Amino acid sequence: MKDDDAPHNPGSGLTRRRFLLTGATALAGLTLSPKLLASEGDLEPAGDFGELDATAPGGIDLYIERKTLRIDGLPGRAITINGSVPGPTIRMTEGEEAVIRVHNRMREATSIHWHGILLPFDMDGVPGISFAGIAPGETFTYRFRLRQNGTYWYHSHSGLQEQMGHYGQLIVEPRDEDPVDYDVEHTLVLSDWTFEDPTTVYKKLKSFEGYYNFQRPTLANLRQQADATDQGLGEAIGSRLQWNRMRMDSTDIADVTGATYSYLLNGRTARENPTFIAGPGERVRLRLTNASAMTYFDVRIPGLAMTVVQADGQNVEPVEVDELRIAVAETYDVIVTLPDARAYTIFAETMDRSGYARGTLAPQQGMSAPIPERRTRPLLTMADMGMMHGDMESMEGMEGMDHGGDHSAHGGDEASDSKDKIRYPPHDEHNVSSVAHRHALPVTDLPMSVPHGPDDHGAGSITMAENAYRQLDDPGVGLGDDGRRVLTYSQLRILETPPDRRPPTREINLHLTGNMHNYIWGFNGKKWSESEMLRFKYGERLRINFINDTMMNHPMHLHGMWMDLYAGHDYGKNPRKHTVNVQPAELLTVDISVDAPGQWAFHCHLLYHMKAGMFRTVAVVRDLKGEPIYADR
Amino acid sequence: MPTVKHYARALGLALSLLLLTDSPAWSQEGHEHHEMEEERDDAPEPEESPESPAEEAEEDPDDVESYQGEEPALPEGMTLDEVLESAEQPPPEDFPDAMHDDAIRAFLLFDQLEYRYDLGDAPDQIGTEISGYVGGDYNRLWLKGEGETSWQGPVGLEGESEIDVLYGRLISPFWTVQIGAQYTNTWAENAYEDIWSGALALQGLAPGMFEVDASLYLTENLNLLADLEAEYDLRITQRLVLQPRAELNFAAQDIPERGIGIGLSQALVDLRLRYEFLREVAPYIGLRYQGLIGATADFAEASGEGASRFFILGGVRFALY
Repeated sequence: MKDDDAPHNPGSGLTRRRFLLTGATALAGLTLSPKLLASEGDLEPAGDFGELDATAPGGIDLYIERKTLRIDGLPGRAITINGSVPGPTIRMTEGEEAVIRVHNRMREATSIHWHGILLPFDMDGVPGISFAGIAPGETFTYRFRLRQNGTYWYHSHSGLQEQMGHYGQLIVEPRDEDPVDYDVEHTLVLSDWTFEDPTTVYKKLKSFEGYYNFQRPTLANLRQQADATDQGLGEAIGSRLQWNRMRMDSTDIADVTGATYSYLLNGRTARENPTFIAGPGERVRLRLTNASAMTYFDVRIPGLAMTVVQADGQNVEPVEVDELRIAVAETYDVIVTLPDARAYTIFAETMDRSGYARGTLAPQQGMSAPIPERRTRPLLTMADMGMMHGDMESMEGMEGMDHGGDHSAHGGDEASDSKDKIRYPPHDEHNVSSVAHRHALPVTDLPMSVPHGPDDHGAGSITMAENAYRQLDDPGVGLGDDGRRVLTYSQLRILETPPDRRPPTREINLHLTGNMHNYIWGFNGKKWSESEMLRFKYGERLRINFINDTMMNHPMHLHGMWMDLYAGHDYGKNPRKHTVNVQPAELLTVDISVDAPGQWAFHCHLLYHMKAGMFRTVAVVRDLKGEPIYADR
Repeated sequence: MPTVKHYARALGLALSLLLLTDSPAWSQEGHEHHEMEEERDDAPEPEESPESPAEEAEEDPDDVESYQGEEPALPEGMTLDEVLESAEQPPPEDFPDAMHDDAIRAFLLFDQLEYRYDLGDAPDQIGTEISGYVGGDYNRLWLKGEGETSWQGPVGLEGESEIDVLYGRLISPFWTVQIGAQYTNTWAENAYEDIWSGALALQGLAPGMFEVDASLYLTENLNLLADLEAEYDLRITQRLVLQPRAELNFAAQDIPERGIGIGLSQALVDLRLRYEFLREVAPYIGLRYQGLIGATADFAEASGEGASRFFILGGVRFALY
């Protein structure tokens, strides 16, 4: 029987379902050799994807169809794009017009959303908001001019299709010279795959709290719990009781885990070891995309430093790190250089440590390097509940990291000043003009934390955090205390200041809320179907203060417009992002140039959180007066 | 007399006025994309209502001059004005819902389905307890039931059951209030008795992770009864769970015909150890103590039954959904 208490057990990547399937196959007198399976079912493996140029004359055609592919050595029913998972890497050139004909060869409607791309709203690909969707058998032609460059990705915005392989990477070549200098480049698409029907996964999450969490605190692992938090046994029991009193689980780090997921890099599992070729001394550009439905990855290449040069498609001042956490839907470009002709492991461990994806960077095929030992699953602490404000243990062990010389980015120690007392009232969708400001808002030295105040978000929200605080220097739970240099948001500085860096004149406070017990997710306690559209005024600079009331990370994605992330330094240097990760009990601020008229999606990019209601429609309108607009007719 | 040319000119002016009003101040410079561009300079300044603080902010020269607006990305064939107009409307009728976050779901849990071996002289039992719902996140139709039957006693096959059908509403993250009806019955070889009650319940997760279900019943004979159930899951390993459980029954009056006495009438204390092969399928073994208390015990003894019983039990817990 599988020992779930031992996260280091190499066999624990084998899920029960696969165990059963393996048994069944063995009974039938077969082995699981890929060669045999391939000849048996004549199954193509996932991961064989091509490359297309969408701005080339004539454009490109994408065919969406259901197909059985060999995934992790087993037949998996996937949604493929031109026959592959991931779909083809789509290249485009800045300034040119992309023409993409998407043919739906399935029995259900589909769509493609071009994640991070600025385009007319009707090309954004969100059924119900941007267009009607692509009906079975129909073709939809996407047509838009590229106004940016960088690494992005694309995926379905219909139902839970994204979980079934409906995604791929998208690269926009710069029109002018690329400030990033490299010799070789590789596409690295991280994702999570389940052999379960995604609707079943969702049903399980709705029906049983922590269905997929097999790393819970138990009597048997009490010692591990104590070790994970540097406590004695007595203290560990004490904090267990404290968590129980709050009706919370300190291991609630990922909703869906390695208990059902196979983690893929370019469609291949760790065993299949996708290999990327680069010679010694070459500058290798790795274009990393997290195309997962639910999984955060911590990426490192043991023995190699990674220089982050791009975040969410935007060039940033190079930062050298040993590890980076990539939230769902983010992209990072890193430069690495092989010092010798040896192989190096690209190791992408999941945030909850329940599994990993892996590849190899080597001068030739067939080489491999050791796979590092997986770390133990971290425990959330009271700090993640905003209860140890000003006492972040995660600040320790980060010596040697570049703090940017700007102390305003620090996460708590000097937060006891008067700004501390500022309350951010929840955004009132019915009274938008009441939060309008006549004057420009400050762009430096924003409050370090806000007390939560009374919880009036209703039954859809379990609010535990007394304070939400800035955590720009905190790489996240389970990172930053082992001497590795881990990327933090405070280190991201945009390379070239974008034209519009006016101070915002209006702010919206958006509480990220959820009820893990009933798996209800939303903003300010409301699901999408209970809410009206958020209105942005065309032409304004708008500030959104995200206040995470939950214990989970949420990757927030705004369609159509950039979010300038307040990273604590020079306002002109704040990075532009399409997806920002908001940590538990975090206060995170973004400023937006509202320059995209139309209606847009704005949501948590954890697929099942979005499905459960953590979604808003944004209407970019002429002015903020008028009746509320409901998206759910 | 105004000529066609005049009309065209007036129309052009009107259009350009519209465009101007709808373009934010910062987008007026350096653009070639609007067809009406040339006429813009002739047009008078648009009037803006000074009451709106947002718009005043927009006029703040600090804001305007530092930014040269980029050409907005507009759908083919639509003007900025038309896009902004459409952004004010709910989505067109032929669009599907963007999200389906309010789907109706059904869930049924057989919390107990077990054989109870009596350690004394009394007959063994087969017992069950179920709970389930149909509905959304906030409003649900609940079904709760429990029952037991035995066949080794002097009267042969006999048993009893309770079924509650309730409307429940989630009133806070952890608590559901339920209101509805209960149907209870007892059967023996030559007897069948039943009774209807109105039911009011509070169900949820109490601090400390105790699952609690407290119910009040008013029977058709106007007797008042109460049930209090609490259970706790103690995880020994990821799949091995020890579950202590207690159930207390109360009555506000003596009901001799049902063998129920005033006050605390019965206590059930169970201990189950289950192994979760799957979250939804878990066989278990356990113990049960059943004690009749006070006047209820007296009623039982008067009819020749013992007031307290011990069981060893085994069964399977499973969920359908």
